Amino acid sequence: MNPANTREEVLEAAANLRWEVGPDLHDSLMEALYTDAARISDRVLSRDDARPAFDLDRTIDRLVTSRWLGFPIMMLLMAVVLWVTITGANVPSSLLSSLFLETLHPALKQAAASAGLAWWLDGLLIDGMFLAMAWVVSVMLPPMAIFFPLFTLLEDFGYLPRVAFNLDRWFKKAGAHGKQALTMAMGYGCNAAGVVATRVIDSPRERLIATLTNNFSLCNGRWPTQILIATIFIGSLAPPVLAGLVSAGAVMAVVLLGVGCTFLVSWGLSRTLLRGEASAFSLELPPYRPPRILQTIYTSLIDRTLIVLWRAVVFSVPAGAAIWLVSNIHVGGTSLAEHLIQGMDPFGLLIGLNGVILLAYIIAIPANEIVIPTVLMLTVVSAGLSGVGEGAGVMFEFDSASATLGVLEAGGWTLLTGINLMLFSLLHNPCSTTLYTIWKETGSVKWTAASALLPIAMGIVVCFCVAQAFRWLGG
Amino acid sequence: MNELTGSMLVVLAALAIYFLFRPGRGWLERWRRWLRLSDRVLSEDALKHLYHCEYEQREATIQSLSGALGTPVERVAGLVQRIEAGELVTSEGASLRLTPKGREYALRIIRAHRLWERYLSEETGLKEPDWHKRAEQKEHRLSSSEADALAARMGNPPFDPHGDPIPTQRGQLPPRRGQPLTSLAVGERARIAHLEDEPEAVYAQLVAEGLHPLMAVQLTHVSAERICFWAEGEEHVLAPIVAANVSVVPLPREQPVEESLETLAALEPGEEATVVGLSPNCRGLERRRLMDLGLLPGTVVAAEMKSPVGDPTAFRIRGALIALRGEQAANIRINSRRQVA
Repeated sequence: MNPANTREEVLEAAANLRWEVGPDLHDSLMEALYTDAARISDRVLSRDDARPAFDLDRTIDRLVTSRWLGFPIMMLLMAVVLWVTITGANVPSSLLSSLFLETLHPALKQAAASAGLAWWLDGLLIDGMFLAMAWVVSVMLPPMAIFFPLFTLLEDFGYLPRVAFNLDRWFKKAGAHGKQALTMAMGYGCNAAGVVATRVIDSPRERLIATLTNNFSLCNGRWPTQILIATIFIGSLAPPVLAGLVSAGAVMAVVLLGVGCTFLVSWGLSRTLLRGEASAFSLELPPYRPPRILQTIYTSLIDRTLIVLWRAVVFSVPAGAAIWLVSNIHVGGTSLAEHLIQGMDPFGLLIGLNGVILLAYIIAIPANEIVIPTVLMLTVVSAGLSGVGEGAGVMFEFDSASATLGVLEAGGWTLLTGINLMLFSLLHNPCSTTLYTIWKETGSVKWTAASALLPIAMGIVVCFCVAQAFRWLGG
Repeated sequence: MNELTGSMLVVLAALAIYFLFRPGRGWLERWRRWLRLSDRVLSEDALKHLYHCEYEQREATIQSLSGALGTPVERVAGLVQRIEAGELVTSEGASLRLTPKGREYALRIIRAHRLWERYLSEETGLKEPDWHKRAEQKEHRLSSSEADALAARMGNPPFDPHGDPIPTQRGQLPPRRGQPLTSLAVGERARIAHLEDEPEAVYAQLVAEGLHPLMAVQLTHVSAERICFWAEGEEHVLAPIVAANVSVVPLPREQPVEESLETLAALEPGEEATVVGLSPNCRGLERRRLMDLGLLPGTVVAAEMKSPVGDPTAFRIRGALIALRGEQAANIRINSRRQVA
């Protein structure tokens, strides 16, 4: 027989046999492989199947997932973590800021002056770059250094997966994964860290949803903005006894709006842009174990706090330079900042903000922490106030709310500007540190762009509508 | 002035959106329809129709073609003239036949279509109703070599997710198998071989019933109005016209009846059961994930607790506590459900 002929015949026979093995050949093969593996492991592994009389894990599980106690326990723990973070961060934050802003900054200025540094170099390096970096570090570091270890301790103990278990049903309705509750909570500390935390979600579609919506959790850099603006614009509307309560309520309303946006956008994304991404749910509830405190503090400081802080510093230095430069480069007698503010003012006013706020959000993109200092400085520059602030290009903040209000009112702010700034602070593009992290995590320019453009478009639409309604109601 | 321009802008934007996207007659839709009806696409669809007729031993005419393509007879007549001139089709009286060259062309399109459906079902999160629609577009854009690369990447799958054979690279197809569900007698057992994905409305009904290829069925009632049968522990009722779109391969009588009428979704905390297998409905990433977790025939699974809002449920699987959602658990068939000792 001709060998070539035989080969043809064999191939022909093989091609015909293909159809007879049936559509589930791959499945049965895979199933057989897995079953063999399971059999081998069963033979060599001995397991203690007897249940102890008292099973601690089961008892804790019953408690934290019980119908009546599950949610109260969850909220209590979240409240404790936030309270410890906020109160605990106050002291080191003011220490750092007095070290950087009140001691180091004047000392550097003096050293520069005695060294005879040119005024522009001194301004660019010390007032611009150093100040932006110092600001970011002193506002950002203490809360993160407290929040992340606490969060990691809960994770290490095994409690966090139970939170995902309790909440999964609602996230499922929005097309998301229960573990998104954890990345959202992490986002209240820092969105960049929240985006990194989406690694715990192992289903591609749900992970992208969690990444793109993390920005709707108010981060550490935006809490102070919210509290400040709520205090001076909304709290002051109420009688002094209730002022604290009313402004806290306003901040809570913004937080809840953020939660609402998270669910709404998750729902929309899972049905439109992300419909075709592969998805598979799984959630392991690991056994509880005593948290390894030292190790946890070490890893959360290194993995979460320092990496994020480093990225923020790297991005804030050029932003400091930009902030100083726009206020100090003069074109035709007026500074670049004033040109830009005037150019953006009509659009800013249309959406109930103003040119100063828009410019501040553009040049302070590296960190939300420096938005308010930049706004104050730009307001002083553009309104031509004298005797306030530290000079063109030098960010500052007041110790008292009434002084802040004075400057802002001189800049033409109204109640509407205050409300819309609170909304815009929630609904705008993530800071560049977060954007860079999204790009690193997804490896895609498309998703990075989507995560920047989506919230900013929402912010502009919401602010525009609020402004129209406000004016229509005769505000 | 500001408010006026603002509100005018909003009105203009709303109008533009309305004209662009309004259902049925929006500009976007018209433009897409025009693209779809381009001549090449239409003639490729015509070749596909002729091939399906040949495979199912039906007669193809200009009228049947006009019906299948949803295009007026006059336009189809012109189209047939062009593809006849290209030596893809010959006509004998009213009936149209494919030439060998035409058959090869048609098989290439069908291969691209079925491969793409397979790809969508295995590697994306898209659901049944989207597969066919998207493959209808993609088949005209996927070149031969792209189709081969796709097939190689997926391990040269022989069947698409509807149970239809995918033509091989050399254009081979097995002889047609299966018979309509309507031809079975009461009590007879069979396995679903194929769900016809056209017309769309009928297919959507089959999907909504939860039917899929490889499912075992047993007929319980046949009448002129309805056909009733059992499949995976549920009774299904279909109108005969819908049931005719389901092809089945009868199972030999002596084959043991699968005793898996229940799924993991029925398991209450405090009960355990043995896994029989995963439903064929669960595919791709999801299927591999469940197998990775150890959900294999013979594994004993115990339900431990439910989330405070009722879903998901945590199961003890090979020593690990794993939470599964209700619709995932419904894809895992179990038997010998019992109380944990």
